[in-house]
Amino acid sequence: MKCTDLYRRLSDHGEGLLDAGDCAAIEHHLRECAPCGELRRDLEALARLCRESPRPRLPDDVRRRIETLLRKSA
Amino acid sequence: MAEPFAAADREALSQALVEHGDRLYALALRVTRDPDLAGDAVQEAFATALQRIGAFRGESSLGTWLHRIVYNKAIDLLRHRGRQAPLPDEETAGGAEDERLASLPAWARPPDQLLYGAETRRALDEALGRLTPQQRAVFTLREMEGLTTDEVASVLELEPGAVRVHLHRARLRLRSLLGEHFKGGMVAS
Repeated sequence: MKCTDLYRRLSDHGEGLLDAGDCAAIEHHLRECAPCGELRRDLEALARLCRESPRPRLPDDVRRRIETLLRKSA
Repeated sequence: MAEPFAAADREALSQALVEHGDRLYALALRVTRDPDLAGDAVQEAFATALQRIGAFRGESSLGTWLHRIVYNKAIDLLRHRGRQAPLPDEETAGGAEDERLASLPAWARPPDQLLYGAETRRALDEALGRLTPQQRAVFTLREMEGLTTDEVASVLELEPGAVRVHLHRARLRLRSLLGEHFKGGMVAS
């Protein structure tokens, strides 16, 4: 497997879309190719950062306006 | 004078506001990058949902349906106010650009040493601002809100394959952009 093949297939691999043979080929390449292994490491770290980022909260004034809208529609 | 709506519909939307309000606002804020526009998008989305809920047939969950309305409102507001370009259907990068981004050198320091703290979160927010609104929406829903690819496709009315392409591209661009923050020697695109 070439690095360019891995670039195209890494996301599908992460989504579980590839068959066992393709997965094994990708895992083998990731073990053997340091830059591709680092690419995966960075992408996993990015995903972790995103999961741990706090979600912004709906401002109270907007929430109140929507509650009023729903109440007045009765 | 507002038209009266069925009590069950109003109750369903009130419950959705409790359950999904923060998520809907997060999507609107990450798409528009403007708290006022984001608040307007959510409020207008609930007004639209109130008008249309009688025709809602439950083919997706109410939460998914509301996310779709919020996303469309956010994009409409961006278009009307002319604050953001490119808009969702504009896509300039292709496979060759993806390959270039993927082949950039890794972050210089181990990510686990870098990822925690307000400064890094600010860098992520700034990097998200460099994506297209649609890439931001895909990335937010998939990576930050944890929706499945099929759910993201339903919200954004895209094919799952298109969601995967946008997500892959967003990940590569963010890696490149954050590389600058992490001083990994990359040139951000």
